[in-house]
Amino acid sequence: MDTDLLLLLIVLLPAAGAVLNGLLPLMWPQLRRSEAAIGAVGTACVAVPFVLALVLFFQGFAEPYVGSFYTWMGVGDFSVSVAYRVDHLSLIMALVVTGVGALIHLYSIGYMHGDRSFWKFFAYLNLFIFMMLNLVLADNLLLMFLGWEGVGLCSYLLIGFWYEDFKNSQAATKAFVVNRIGDFAFLLAMFILVREVGSLDFAEVFAAAGEMTAGTLNAVVFLLFIGATGKSAQIPLFVWLPDAMAGPTPVSALIHAATMVTSGLYLLARMSSVVLMAPTVMGLIAVTGALTALVAATIAIAQTDIKRVLAYSTVSQLGFMFMASGVGAFFVAIFHVVTHAFFKACLFLGSGSVIHGMHHVEHDLRRAGYKDPFDPQDMRTMGGLGRFMPRTRWTYLAATLAISGIPLTAGFFSKDEILFKAFEFGYDGHLFAWFVWSVGIGTALLTAFYMMRSYMLTFEGSHRWPMAQRVHPHESPWTITAPLVVLAALSLVGGFIGLPKLAEKAGLANWIHGYLVGHGTHHGPVVEAAATAHVSVGIEVVLIVLGSLIAIGGVWWAWRFYALHELTGDERIRLRFGGLYRWWQRSYYWDEFYDKVAVRPVVGGAENAFAPFDNRVVDGLVNAVARTAQQISRMARHLQTGVVQAYALAIVLGVVVVIALMVR
Amino acid sequence: MDISGAYDSILYDIAGGFSLLVLLLAGIVCIVWDIFENDEPVLPFVAAMACVVGIVWEVRNLDAGSSTVFYDSIRAYGLASYINITILLSALATVILSVPYLKRIKHGYGEVYALIVFATAGAVMMGTANSLVTVFVGLETMSISLYILAGLVRRDEGGIESALKYFLLGAFSTGFFLYGIALLYGATGTMYLPEMASGFIERGELTLLFWAGIALFFVGFLFKVSAVPFHMWTPDVYQGAPTPLTGYMSTASKAAAFAALVLVLYYGLAPMPVAAWQTALAVVALVTMVLGNLLALVQNNAKRMLAYSSIAHAGYVLVALTAGTSQGYAGAVYYLLIYSLMNIGAFGVMALLEWDDKEGRLQTIDSLAGIGFRKPLLGVAMGVFMFSLIGFPPFGGFFGKVAVFAPAIEAGYTWLAIAGVLASALSGYYYLRVLYVFWMRTEEQADPAVRARAFPVSFSSAAVVVTCALVLLVIGFIPYVRDLTQIYFDASVFATMP
Amino acid sequence: MLAESLFILLGTVSVVAALGMLIARNPVTSALWLILTLFCVAGLYLTLSAEFIAVVQVLVYAGAIMVLFLFVIMLLNLGALPQLEKMDWKKALGFVLCVIVLSQLVFIVATSLQLMPATATVAEDAGAATTIAKTLFTRHMLDFEMIGVLLLVATVGALMLAKRKFA
Repeated sequence: MDTDLLLLLIVLLPAAGAVLNGLLPLMWPQLRRSEAAIGAVGTACVAVPFVLALVLFFQGFAEPYVGSFYTWMGVGDFSVSVAYRVDHLSLIMALVVTGVGALIHLYSIGYMHGDRSFWKFFAYLNLFIFMMLNLVLADNLLLMFLGWEGVGLCSYLLIGFWYEDFKNSQAATKAFVVNRIGDFAFLLAMFILVREVGSLDFAEVFAAAGEMTAGTLNAVVFLLFIGATGKSAQIPLFVWLPDAMAGPTPVSALIHAATMVTSGLYLLARMSSVVLMAPTVMGLIAVTGALTALVAATIAIAQTDIKRVLAYSTVSQLGFMFMASGVGAFFVAIFHVVTHAFFKACLFLGSGSVIHGMHHVEHDLRRAGYKDPFDPQDMRTMGGLGRFMPRTRWTYLAATLAISGIPLTAGFFSKDEILFKAFEFGYDGHLFAWFVWSVGIGTALLTAFYMMRSYMLTFEGSHRWPMAQRVHPHESPWTITAPLVVLAALSLVGGFIGLPKLAEKAGLANWIHGYLVGHGTHHGPVVEAAATAHVSVGIEVVLIVLGSLIAIGGVWWAWRFYALHELTGDERIRLRFGGLYRWWQRSYYWDEFYDKVAVRPVVGGAENAFAPFDNRVVDGLVNAVARTAQQISRMARHLQTGVVQAYALAIVLGVVVVIALMVR
Repeated sequence: MDISGAYDSILYDIAGGFSLLVLLLAGIVCIVWDIFENDEPVLPFVAAMACVVGIVWEVRNLDAGSSTVFYDSIRAYGLASYINITILLSALATVILSVPYLKRIKHGYGEVYALIVFATAGAVMMGTANSLVTVFVGLETMSISLYILAGLVRRDEGGIESALKYFLLGAFSTGFFLYGIALLYGATGTMYLPEMASGFIERGELTLLFWAGIALFFVGFLFKVSAVPFHMWTPDVYQGAPTPLTGYMSTASKAAAFAALVLVLYYGLAPMPVAAWQTALAVVALVTMVLGNLLALVQNNAKRMLAYSSIAHAGYVLVALTAGTSQGYAGAVYYLLIYSLMNIGAFGVMALLEWDDKEGRLQTIDSLAGIGFRKPLLGVAMGVFMFSLIGFPPFGGFFGKVAVFAPAIEAGYTWLAIAGVLASALSGYYYLRVLYVFWMRTEEQADPAVRARAFPVSFSSAAVVVTCALVLLVIGFIPYVRDLTQIYFDASVFATMP
Repeated sequence: MLAESLFILLGTVSVVAALGMLIARNPVTSALWLILTLFCVAGLYLTLSAEFIAVVQVLVYAGAIMVLFLFVIMLLNLGALPQLEKMDWKKALGFVLCVIVLSQLVFIVATSLQLMPATATVAEDAGAATTIAKTLFTRHMLDFEMIGVLLLVATVGALMLAKRKFA
């Protein structure tokens, strides 16, 4: 098929799904109950684009293909088109978005069953996929920004999906506002580019980047990075992501783990040739990533809500990806985006399956007359679920091992590659990379530990919910478990697309490196930092062994520790770390800090200074204008007497005036 | 005078004036059919088909180069096709909306559709006229049909008042119009617009007589498009006439009058110094926008409110004409299409929501409180029309307003454009009030008669309203239409600006 | 010279007769004044060698239509003559405005008289019925047909409004 047509179908099918699922049930309320149809349309509108994207994938596109469909705006020389760019980078992202997206749509049919706004949920999800595809396929920054804002909107809508609970809509607002801060930086970067380059098309920006002054370049890259920290939840803008778990779990899996939060990395990878020209900012990116990874990993240890653990884990993993970008290994960042999409989506969906089961427990408890509050997401009231939910358990375990970096799982390859690249960059003489590397090693250990902890507390040990003898959860339906199995399988084997350098000796190339960066004369869409010094094979072996040991060690340690102590394990850690543990529990008081420094002064200023001004002066002015206009209107109304002679008189008056004005 | 070979080009003429001839044919078919089968229900179908055939024909000729047919009487192809499409679309929507409406008020006579078709024929002739005679004949055919249609419901004093006022004042203004034509002929010795222009280029001077003729000629147009102070008939006539036909008056007849004005300005006056008539149009535009919007503020009746709103919109188009540039004329004809869609839709919704059995003459806007929840389709469509009339992006009205105000700024009439923008800001008040009543009041606040009434919406009416709304949603994003209007006007024929 | 003096004579009489029509209180008198005006205008056509139009003017307007007018006036039997209405500010304003329009137009026509383009000499047969017929069916073919439609519309409309039974 024609590439243009394929592209249009890929982008527009999810939009069509959003319109169908959104408008038809809105107009005909009786349709809202036909969940099967809504779910099928919603899933098909993502699954078909996935297949079409596969077709494109197998067609190659070693050279970027740009399909331009519509001139969005044109002012003088400056014009922005709705143009989509097909190259290896956008293809891989589109595949992840539609592939994982389709699985999560399928999952949602089971998960959202019986929800009052089932149709709305699928309309939003489809809209999200549409926006996300715009983001990754766009050929210019503005269209990308449209997608960027669009996914932000969908994120807002879906976090606050159960908006009857004020807490949820607060979380949605928080996510939106924090994201807007990053978006503002993105906008500023675009303004600079428009002034300096006069275009927002990627090709032209790349071509002109070399001629910009170092200051401008640094500013642009820095602002883009700030934009990326907003969307991809890095220090200092990561605070929205844990709260975003207020949304339904499929949303957390799709938007806040697999796709949207990686768009910051995609932005950096897309702009890699420009980013590489600003080494100072790259150092900042890497260090920020490392610190975020560490901070989030420590917080994750002290969380008891299963989804919050995963949320902080996501922040931490995103930190790893930023480390990779910061040391110039953008393709590794994208590699980790892909593998992370597999195992984190699997983990979130698994947690969703658990929550689904615990909801049944809660339901049964209420029927049995249990009155106390019960939180189906609290790991402290879980334990031993593996017996009742075997498929959920094994898939969750597979994904846990993958994220921990157990050898030959997906996470092992990608995370090891990140650490190796950081090491190599340090070896190459960049001192900050040593710091990044060592933080990364430590965080990897913590990752293995807290992830295994969440598995142990959830699936192993004793049943800790009330009346455990009488009520117990059940395994979820196939629409929920089938995506789990697929994602778990991918978590285990997905890493083989990016074999370590060592494998070259055995004649096995690193596929994703060749695909994204290129090999020989072929240049892919992603550029990497040119390394002058090469790490010897021996050191590489040592590093791989070190990485494997850390992962295995962390997992083993957590397994032993929590098998022995179960819930009291947390207590032991708390006693060991004391005050520090409380900081972890409260996320380093980051929210409180923002509240004091930013939120309260702004709100206070608004209440005390702007609100009275607005009420009295602005509103007063507006009301005065409205009242005056009405007064004049009432007076002018008397001209309209209804007497036809008076009308004729007015016509004659008009004739006099027109002749007088024209004949001079 | 030798007239052998006078009809050699008749086939070409017929092709050029095809939609006009189809309309005339359909009108005569309607009348003759009605003689044998009184109030035959197929007649509206005949009328609608004539419009559809005309539209299809003209769409095919949108890109063709403009030329004249029937001994230079009317223009054909290109711009003329665009204008005809605007007029025919309004007529088509009117016919479709009229069928259930007139059936409901028991006035579904066959002659009505014949008259609508003849009025449309007159509008088409006027809107594509190339000579002053043709303008006049077209204007009169359209006007007389409309006088009759306005007084269709004779049992109601509102209908009689409407028709009589329209007729008396229309005849009065026609007197000025005709005198203007006489003066123009006296001053230039020709009835044909391009010959006026070429005559000026030859002689290089203009007499006072000519400008007086133009002034009186304009008065006729300004009356038809209801510009202040020639507007006073508008609210009374709009209020009393059957609602779909009011929609027709505010769209097709206005579009035709404006189109004719554009043709006169572009083909007749382009090489002449614009300053001569610019001031007059600027003053009229300003007063029209301000007074139209101000008076709309306090109207309680939807039809009266829409009447004042249509006065205000005439002011916006006049702003574009004041610019006197190719961009201005392009903006004006672009706006006419969008304006027609918005207004025919708004009047269509009001026709469907009528409950007082007095053609909506007595019912207030407030009586329809909360109707949006009962009739969501109409409520949402009305939302689109109202926002579009305000000029709110991304609706068509926004792009239309940009198209009419931007040329005025380029031509140095920034103050006029600013006044226009402020006036349209004022318009937000009364347009949004409709939506406020429709959506933010509860049904308990509605008139008891409204609550008791079912408001059936036929499929055809709903289709018209929804189509108008959808087109308004997307038209701004179709650059083809805007580009089309711009290639119709050649900037090189204009007198160089001082 | 003869043409000019004829023009001045006929023009003056027609204007005076038009004023007489407006001023006359009796409708029959008024109608008779109008007939005089129409005759004078027909005479003006004759001086322009437009014989056909002159004849039509007399036949149709002065003849048929005015006879109809007089019949209607007499059938309606308007016994009481309208009383003079009092002047109010609206009428005064209307009068003033009309005077202004009139003076504007008179001024314009007066100043433009010399500037008019030299009219081509009128051909001998310009006003003949054949010439008019040829023009009507060639140059003004469309306008002519459209006027037919216009008359049809007027007839249909009048019939519809008058004859339809109203509930």
